[in-house]
Amino acid sequence: MANHVLLNSIEHKNLKINGERSEAMGDNVWYAQTFPMEFRSAQAHYPILFQKDSNTGQFMPVTLFGFQNEDNLFLKEGGWDATYIPLALQRLPFYIGQKNVENEGITEQERVITLDLDSPKVNTEQGIDLFLEYGGNSDYLEHMANVLESLHVGLQDNKDFVEALTTCELLESVTLDIELNDGSKNQLIGFYAINEDNLNKLSPDNLTRLHNAGFLQAIYMVIASQVNIHDLVARKNSQIAIAS
Amino acid sequence: MQSEIKNIVIVGGGTAGWITAGLIAAKHTKNQPSCSTVSVTVIESPNVPTIGVGEGTWPSIRETLKKIGISEADLFSCCDASFKQASKFIDWQQSPLNNNNTSHSYFHPFSLPQGTDQFNLGTVIGTLAAAENNTSSFAQQVCYQSILCEQNLAPKQITSKAYDYIANYGYHFDASKFSLLLKEHCINKLNVKYVSAHIVMVNNGEDGDISSVSTKSYGDIKGDLFIDCSGAQSLLLGKHFGIPFCSKKSVLFNDTALAVQVPYENQDSPIASCTLSTAQKSGWIWNIGLQSRCGVGYVYSSQHTSDNLAESELEQYLNSLNTTNKKAELSVRKLSFNPGYYEKFWHRNCVAVGMSAGFIEPLEASALAMIEQAALMISEQLPVTKSSMAITAKRFNEKFIQHWQQIIEFLKLHYVLSKRDDSDYWLDNREPSSIPESLQEMLELWQHQAPSSYDISHNNPLFPAASYQYVLYGMLFNTVPVRKNNDHDELIKQALAEIQQKRQHLSRVMESNRILINKIKQYGLATI
Repeated sequence: MANHVLLNSIEHKNLKINGERSEAMGDNVWYAQTFPMEFRSAQAHYPILFQKDSNTGQFMPVTLFGFQNEDNLFLKEGGWDATYIPLALQRLPFYIGQKNVENEGITEQERVITLDLDSPKVNTEQGIDLFLEYGGNSDYLEHMANVLESLHVGLQDNKDFVEALTTCELLESVTLDIELNDGSKNQLIGFYAINEDNLNKLSPDNLTRLHNAGFLQAIYMVIASQVNIHDLVARKNSQIAIAS
Repeated sequence: MQSEIKNIVIVGGGTAGWITAGLIAAKHTKNQPSCSTVSVTVIESPNVPTIGVGEGTWPSIRETLKKIGISEADLFSCCDASFKQASKFIDWQQSPLNNNNTSHSYFHPFSLPQGTDQFNLGTVIGTLAAAENNTSSFAQQVCYQSILCEQNLAPKQITSKAYDYIANYGYHFDASKFSLLLKEHCINKLNVKYVSAHIVMVNNGEDGDISSVSTKSYGDIKGDLFIDCSGAQSLLLGKHFGIPFCSKKSVLFNDTALAVQVPYENQDSPIASCTLSTAQKSGWIWNIGLQSRCGVGYVYSSQHTSDNLAESELEQYLNSLNTTNKKAELSVRKLSFNPGYYEKFWHRNCVAVGMSAGFIEPLEASALAMIEQAALMISEQLPVTKSSMAITAKRFNEKFIQHWQQIIEFLKLHYVLSKRDDSDYWLDNREPSSIPESLQEMLELWQHQAPSSYDISHNNPLFPAASYQYVLYGMLFNTVPVRKNNDHDELIKQALAEIQQKRQHLSRVMESNRILINKIKQYGLATI
């Protein structure tokens, strides 16, 4: 289970983060949340689909790494087999927390970095130091702070993006029928994609609105990313071939 | 074409009037070329308060609301709505006083018993000898839904589509708020004309049909088809045309209700997933959990008890609910009704929907379901000309006489199976002269065979055979089959085990009604 604590340079002085990407390090997730500003990098490697958040029912864009729970087809012997790892995974084992701070008598919420102490990436033996000898942040930690910040800013776009998509009825439920080389037929359900028919029928007003919000490009990135499903199927087939 | 049916006038708002207006308008006025447009007018009297019949609905309401175009999230935001997945009958089989103070109860859930082409678990379990069948109740064995009711869990998830379900459901809601939501939608989205006026006269044309109704402030309103949604006064069907009323008091004795609204202990109190119906000495008490309060009422036979005695029984029940601290504020409202229905519902160019057609105690919350059925048939079979109207009217009357007869027999079944003997009310209810003949016949058959679709003569019945099974075996009726069938024993075992697994699974993953309703109000429900 996760055990999130506020990061600080005293208690966590000797901690190291194991940068290896592997099942043992908890990287065997089959999808991760993404956001419009990341689409350009993500669509080069992963299919981008939409899923409903299990807690709120709200749509969120996700990058797909596999076809079932705990099956990440990008995890290979030597690490993550792609040149770009989505920020939602890059940031592990760090998270953004909220902390109340008193500022001239007014309570304000401040974003802080938290750390999942139960993550297998966290240890004292192997990996990259979090802090310098006298308590300053390591370059690695600075980098992680930037990743978290980009993620935080990027995810804020999702609400408006998804709302624009649902208002224009641009999402549709999809079922992916996947036949693998071993003859097995599989169905991937519970995902949503761009409804291209409705996209092509958009009124000039709505097109302009989406364009001005910066969402039109994002929509086409999502469409372009679908081709990566073939890559994912190929990865699954070679995984099966190796196993047999 | 001779006298086309174009102007439909609905007399009376309320749930009956607005559901009827909504279904007709959604089908006939939306996306139609203007030449063939049907116009729908609702005349609502500012003087007549809506009485809000029954706050419980059936699963059919979801399809009705979808057709009318109401968003499910709006229903939760505007109507104090909650999920209804079953009725729970408490103390019907035996009085707790005669039963070592233990309460017997059973569920009549909205999901049917599981089954396949080869077997129906309802029939299989129903016909097991009582001895080999005493570990868990009938509903627990044949269907997964009752565990959700036992634990106040929701029938769907926040990721479910609007109106989709994991376990079948309808709603409990505040009927007057529901009317208001429909009214706004009908006027603003479906082009229903709205006239707020009191009707002073009903005018016949030369052919004997109603040609118009005269209003105090709005003059005469003409129409081709008049729909009587005027409530118990039955302004057009009963008063104007004088269609005779068939009282069913000799079968179903209840004719009076005392209703109260009970607040929750606090705003996080659990919301029940089912209507609770607790048998009393001279009737039964309903308890319907909305978001902000519970609606509670004692419906009883005025021949078997007095209002004062009934009120003290109701008070005892309320005390047992543990809401004693707020008891003093409760105001009790009394309603009287004559159980029964009119000899026909569609006469000439007038058709009655809702209480103007008939009323019966709300034991299985059939009132709204009947309104939906009637409004749906009118909307789907809307006669094109006056000359074809008589045919539609004849079919409508045949169908709804069957519906009423079935409802009355099915409600009576709940009483007939009781072993209670703590009052004349229960003994009188089992008096053979009060039991319709066809129900007596069915009871005879059920001695040796489970209720099946052969017991029901008409198509699309309100209560399928499964409903009879839930009540019969919920009430511990003993069907002793003479011919035992071992054909699918292994498959049946497997199906029963799967239900138990599904029950366990659902109890782990489903959220409480309260939590899901709050989420729906905050996030809405996607339509895809």
